[in-house]
Amino acid sequence: MAQETKTRDKAGDSEYTAVGKPTIRIEGVGKVTGQTKFADDLTFPHMLHAKVLGSPHAHARVKSVDTADARQHPGVEAVIAAADLPAYKMNPSNRRGVIFAVDEVLFQGQPIAAVLASDPHVAEEALALIKVEYEPLTAVTDPISAMEDGSPLVRSAISDVDRSEEKGHVTIDVEQEEAEGAPSNIASKINFSRGDVEAGFAEADCVVEQTWRSAMVHQSYIEPHATIADFDNSGELSVWTSTQAPFYVRDELCQTLGIHESKIRVTATEVGGGFGGKIFLTELITAALAIVVKRPVKYIMSRKEDMLAATPAPFAQVELKTGMKADGTLVALKARLIYDSGAFPGAPVMPGCLFVGGYYKCPNLHIEGFEVLTNKVSVGALRAPGAHNATHAIESHMDIMARELGLDPLEARMKNAVEEGDPLPSGQPYPRIGLKDCLRAISESDVWKRRREVEGQANRGVGVAIGGWIGGLQPASAIVGLNGDGTIDVTVGSADISGTNTSFQQIAAEVLNVPLSSVNVTTGDTKTAPYAGMSAGSKTTYTVGKAVKLAAEDAKRQMLDIAAQRFEASPDELSVADGKVHLDGDDDKVLTFARLGKMTTNFGARFAPVVGRGTMSTRKSAPGFSAQAAEVEIDPDTGAITVLGYAIVQDAGFAINPLSVEGQMQGGASQGLGIALSEEMKFDEEGRLLNANLLDYRLPTTRDLPPIETIIVEVPSEEGPYGARIIGEPSIVPGGATIANAVADAIGVRVTDIPITPERVLRALGKL
Amino acid sequence: MGKVNISFTINGSSHQIDVEPQWTLLEMVREQLHLTGTKEGCGTGDCGACSMIVDGRLITSCCMLAPQADGSDVTTVEGLLANGDLHPVQQAFIETGGVQCGFCTPGMIMATKALLDRTPKPTLDDIREGLAGNLCRCTGYTKIYEAVMTASGQEI
Repeated sequence: MAQETKTRDKAGDSEYTAVGKPTIRIEGVGKVTGQTKFADDLTFPHMLHAKVLGSPHAHARVKSVDTADARQHPGVEAVIAAADLPAYKMNPSNRRGVIFAVDEVLFQGQPIAAVLASDPHVAEEALALIKVEYEPLTAVTDPISAMEDGSPLVRSAISDVDRSEEKGHVTIDVEQEEAEGAPSNIASKINFSRGDVEAGFAEADCVVEQTWRSAMVHQSYIEPHATIADFDNSGELSVWTSTQAPFYVRDELCQTLGIHESKIRVTATEVGGGFGGKIFLTELITAALAIVVKRPVKYIMSRKEDMLAATPAPFAQVELKTGMKADGTLVALKARLIYDSGAFPGAPVMPGCLFVGGYYKCPNLHIEGFEVLTNKVSVGALRAPGAHNATHAIESHMDIMARELGLDPLEARMKNAVEEGDPLPSGQPYPRIGLKDCLRAISESDVWKRRREVEGQANRGVGVAIGGWIGGLQPASAIVGLNGDGTIDVTVGSADISGTNTSFQQIAAEVLNVPLSSVNVTTGDTKTAPYAGMSAGSKTTYTVGKAVKLAAEDAKRQMLDIAAQRFEASPDELSVADGKVHLDGDDDKVLTFARLGKMTTNFGARFAPVVGRGTMSTRKSAPGFSAQAAEVEIDPDTGAITVLGYAIVQDAGFAINPLSVEGQMQGGASQGLGIALSEEMKFDEEGRLLNANLLDYRLPTTRDLPPIETIIVEVPSEEGPYGARIIGEPSIVPGGATIANAVADAIGVRVTDIPITPERVLRALGKL
Repeated sequence: MGKVNISFTINGSSHQIDVEPQWTLLEMVREQLHLTGTKEGCGTGDCGACSMIVDGRLITSCCMLAPQADGSDVTTVEGLLANGDLHPVQQAFIETGGVQCGFCTPGMIMATKALLDRTPKPTLDDIREGLAGNLCRCTGYTKIYEAVMTASGQEI
C-alpha cells in the first residue's frame, strides 16, 4: 500500500517502557464486539421517549402553541411546551439557556415543544397534532448584508444579546464602539494591530488582495446527540449523555435549573464522535422534561434534527491583503473577517483573527473581526474552531505570493514562520513550538517530493499548507489507587473522546513500572470522579495526563513509604519494577504490589490504603502545528477532483501513544478534506436548510480518501507529560488551503470558496 | 395495525416473534432482541452504521422492514465472536487502530466481513469500493484500510 507511517526514530529504543509505544485501545474489545454502551443503548424502567417539535420557519413570531390534541393521542404521557415549564433562570441571549422558543423562533428547527411516550413512534405521531400559529418574519440569511445599517434584525432584543455574551469572547463591546447603540446584527467585534500596515504595503514587491469564503459545515459525528435524564424525589438529577464535557454539563444544568452541583450526577457515556459538537445541547431539554414527569426520559436526536438544530461550524468571509518583499519577507497583512454566528452569539472569530496573522512574523498588521447574527442555527465548536476559515485565506496568499515572486512555497513559509517568543496578533508570545520542524518534515514527504514529477502534467497539481492551534487550558485532577490484588485503578473525570484513557494507562504503567495489563482506567461520573475540564481544546492528555502522572507518582511514594517502614530502610533505597518494591542491593527484600495491596486493605491492616492524588493547573499552553501536502487530479470536463495522495506532519511534542496520535492526525486531516472538497450546509433564501441528511451533506468516504502518509515530529512542550503537547485539533486546520493550493497548481486558476466542488472548479475555468 | 409473526435466524439462533409491521429490522434487533451492538447513525441508509448481513448480503438495517426478514438468516456484530474469541476482523481493527469512537465500528466490521467473504484478498481499490457505504468520521479510513489488509493476511 502507498501509505507510509513514519514514527519518530526513537520509538524503538526509548528510555521508557510504556509511554511512547504504539498501544491498542483500552476499550477496543468492547467497541469491536458492540458491547460498549452508548447512550441510546441504555434503557431504564418506566423510561419515556421524547420527540421534539422544531420550528419550520427560520424566523417567525410564535402566536400560539396548542397541545390539546397531542395530549389526547393514545399512548402520549405528556406534551410540554415553554408554558408548561417552571420559570427557570433563562438567558434568552444565550442558546445554552433556552429550552423552548418563547414568542419568537430564530432558526429552523428551534425546539417549540416535546411529546413524551413509552413508544417513540407514538411520540413522533403526536408531534403532528401540536398546533402552532406562526407569523413569519423576515429571515436574515446573509451575514455580509446583515452587517449593513438598516438591515432587518435577526431578533428583537439584539442589543441585549450582545452585552450578555461579550465576556465569553474576549471581544470589544459593540456599544462602546458604536456610541449610539443602535440595534445591529453585529454581535461582537475584535481588533488587532501592530506596526504601520500601509507603510508595510509600500515596501512590498508583491501585494495580493482577495476575498475567501468557507462554508458552514457540520461536525457530523456518526452518533447523533443522545441524552437520558432522571429526577428523583430527593431532588437529585441524573444525566447519562454523549458529551465531551460532563462537569460543564453539570455546571450549566445547575445554573439554569437551580439545582446544586452536588445534586447533579452527569455520566459521560461513550461519545460516538464529538469534534467539539458534543458539549452541551440535549442535556437541558431532557433534564427539564424529566423534572416535569419524574420518570427517566430519553432524547435521541434524529439525523435531520441534528443537522438542523445542533451547533455546526460557521460560514466565514475573509477579506485579506498581504504584502511580501522580493526576498520572501512578509511585510504587511490586513484582514477583515466576518463569521456567521447564526441566531445566537458564539462564533469563533477570535481564533480566526489570531491565526490569520499568527503563523508568520509580520511587522505590520491590522486585523478586524466581526461576529454577525443571522437566522440560521447558531454555531459552536468544531475541532480548532474558527481556525480553518482563516487558514484557508492566509495559506492561499502565501502560495500566491511565493508563486508571483518565483519562490519555493515551503521556503517562503520557512522564512517567515513563527518561533518561540514571536508574538501572536494579540501580543502574547509563543512558547516553544515546532512549526519549522513541521515544514522541514513535509518537504521530505513522498507527496511533496512528487511535485517535480507532477510539474507540467496537465490537470495535476501538488499543494502544501500549514495550520495550528493554541489549545485550551483547564485545571485537572486524577486518582491512582492500589487494589488489594496489586492492580492499579486510575480514575479521571474527563470523557475519553480520542484514546486518552489508553494514554493514562500508559502513563500510570510507566510511573509504577508495571505492565499495561495491571492498570485500568475509568472515567467516573461527576459525583465520583475528580474534576477535569472538558475534553475539548486538545487539552486532555496535556492536563489530565499530567494529573495522572502526578497521582501515580504520589501512589508510588506512598508504596515506597510503606515498604521502607517494613524493611526499616529509607525510601531512597527502594525502587519499583515488575509489580514489586525492591530494596536496592538486597534481592531478598521484595514486596509485591499484591502484598502491599493486602497490607493496606485487609481487616486490621497496619497501613492506610494507597490513594495517589494528582492535581494541576497551568497557564502555559503547548500549541501544535501541522503541515500537509496533497496531490490532486482535476477532470477538466466535470470539474471533479481526485485526491491522489495526501501527507500530514504534526508536532506532537511527545507521542505518548503513536497509534492514537496517528489516528488523530489522519482523522483531522480527513475532516479538513471534507471541508476542502464537499461539505457545505446549504440554505435557501428563507433560511431553510436544503441538505439535512448525510446523502446531500457529503462527508468523505473511502472512495474519496487515499491512505494518508503520516509523519509525527516531536518538539517537547515545556509542561506536558513527557513533553506531550496538544494533539487533536491542528490536523483539521490546513486541509482547505492544502487542496486549494493543489487545485491552483493543477489548473492555474484560483477557486476562492471552499468546498471546492466540481461546480466551482468549472466556474473558475470559465466553463459555467 | 396488528403485529406480524415472523421466523428468522439471527447469529445462529432461531426466533419466531411478533413484530410491529412498520418497525425496521434495526429497531426489532435493538429494541425487541436487545442486541444493541448495531447502531443507528442516520436512519436513511446513508452512513452504514446499521450494517448487518442478511442471507449473505450486506444491508442497511434501518432501511429494511422487520417483516422482510421473515425466513432470513441475519448476522449482526454480536454474531462474530466464536466461543468468546474475537473474529479476525475484530482483532485486526483493534490492532491497527481502526477503531476510534467505535460508533461506526460494528457496521464497518460487518461491511469488512461481507467484503472478505466475497473477496478474501482485496486490493486497496477493492477495499475502498467495498467500504464506500460506511462512513467513519474519526479515522480518515487509513487505519481501516490497514485493518482490512491485516484481517485478510496481507502486508500493509
